[in-house]
Amino acid sequence: MTWMQVLTLALLTTPVGLVAQNGGGVTRLPGRVPAAALPAIDSIIAAAVAESLPTEPLVQKALEGSAKNIPADRLVNGVRRGLLQLRQARAILTRAVPGQVPPEGHIAAVAAALARGLSGPIVERLLTMAPTEPPGPVLHAAADLIAHHFDPDSAADLLVEAHNKGLRGVRLLDVAVAADHELQRPGGRTPSEALAHVRAMLPNVPVPASVTRRGTRGSYERP
Amino acid sequence: MSPIDLRLQEALDGERGPGELPADLGEAYARLISAAQLLAATPPASVAARVMAAIRQPPVPVQTEGPMRRLVRWLARPRAVTVRLRPAWTLALAVGLAAILSLPFVPGFGRTPGAAEGVANFVGHFPGARSVEVVGSFNNWSRGTLHLSDHDHDGVWRGGTVLPAGQHEYMFVVDGERWVPDPLAGRYVDDGFGAGQQNSLLIVRPVAALP
Repeated sequence: MTWMQVLTLALLTTPVGLVAQNGGGVTRLPGRVPAAALPAIDSIIAAAVAESLPTEPLVQKALEGSAKNIPADRLVNGVRRGLLQLRQARAILTRAVPGQVPPEGHIAAVAAALARGLSGPIVERLLTMAPTEPPGPVLHAAADLIAHHFDPDSAADLLVEAHNKGLRGVRLLDVAVAADHELQRPGGRTPSEALAHVRAMLPNVPVPASVTRRGTRGSYERP
Repeated sequence: MSPIDLRLQEALDGERGPGELPADLGEAYARLISAAQLLAATPPASVAARVMAAIRQPPVPVQTEGPMRRLVRWLARPRAVTVRLRPAWTLALAVGLAAILSLPFVPGFGRTPGAAEGVANFVGHFPGARSVEVVGSFNNWSRGTLHLSDHDHDGVWRGGTVLPAGQHEYMFVVDGERWVPDPLAGRYVDDGFGAGQQNSLLIVRPVAALP
């Protein structure tokens, strides 16, 4: 290896090492987060590092609050709330999938589902259904159904059945979209009728028209 | 000029037989005869004469090739190419290419998403707005990276970008100061800062998972 290669390797690895030591993102905060909030946020992120929890959601929350000019005390509370959700998420994962160290991505996904209002028992039930799969899609599907006023237990039942019939990953989101479409259909269906209709079509729920190779719409165009 | 021996002159004139000459004169006689024979021979045609002769010959019939065959032959024929590089220009070209490749996606000028990425499209109805941009977890909540545009001035602002598959929270920032959740997003999550404000939620599907 030439001296040039050694120098290049050193330059490339040094920042990675620094970031890894300080929790993978704290270096992005100075200059963007108000100085008054920075020490408290640093300590929250340090706690996450000490507990082997993912820090990226906390860094993102701090950046978000700063961009929105949230006052320092509320900003710190928002980040602290994120830490509490991460702790709760890991506890749920540990119960649902015992004997395994939960991956950081799974912890973050469960915390995001809790932030969307899913209850612990519903999350735990869905995690138990597919312990080795990334939990994000099924949890978002459940949150979508509940946000559209479907009964949480009935929504979970439908998703478990869809999973048993072979639907995986983002296809579970289509189950929630199909249920919502059934609910919106002219003529009026009750939520339980809409769920029954979707259950009858499993596993052949349609892919929504808003999802194509040309893009997933962040927002739906007005008709 | 050296005088020629009389006996040799007589032999050359045919008045004396060559065998009557002494040995040295006999050799000289033989060389002179050879030279005379060479001079007497028909001289070869000049280069110009040979070229003209070739031109005057009737054309040899050649097999005509179509343009496609000629193109294929031209493409298939190996050619020596000499490339001379100036390091400064090469470096500038590399920097330019890297800058182009790192440009964010906008409709009509985008990059192809990878297997674990998807295209996210944003539409917002903001009549009278001077600017609309999307700020979210995918750009570290930084301003100035994803602007929407309203080319026909109908109040409908559009834009898109390639994002990693998964969940992304975002908001619209209108006229650089007004933070607005996407009213058409369909998914929302409390932003956690205690004022009841909601972020819009986008779930990007990986291109590999699309039918």
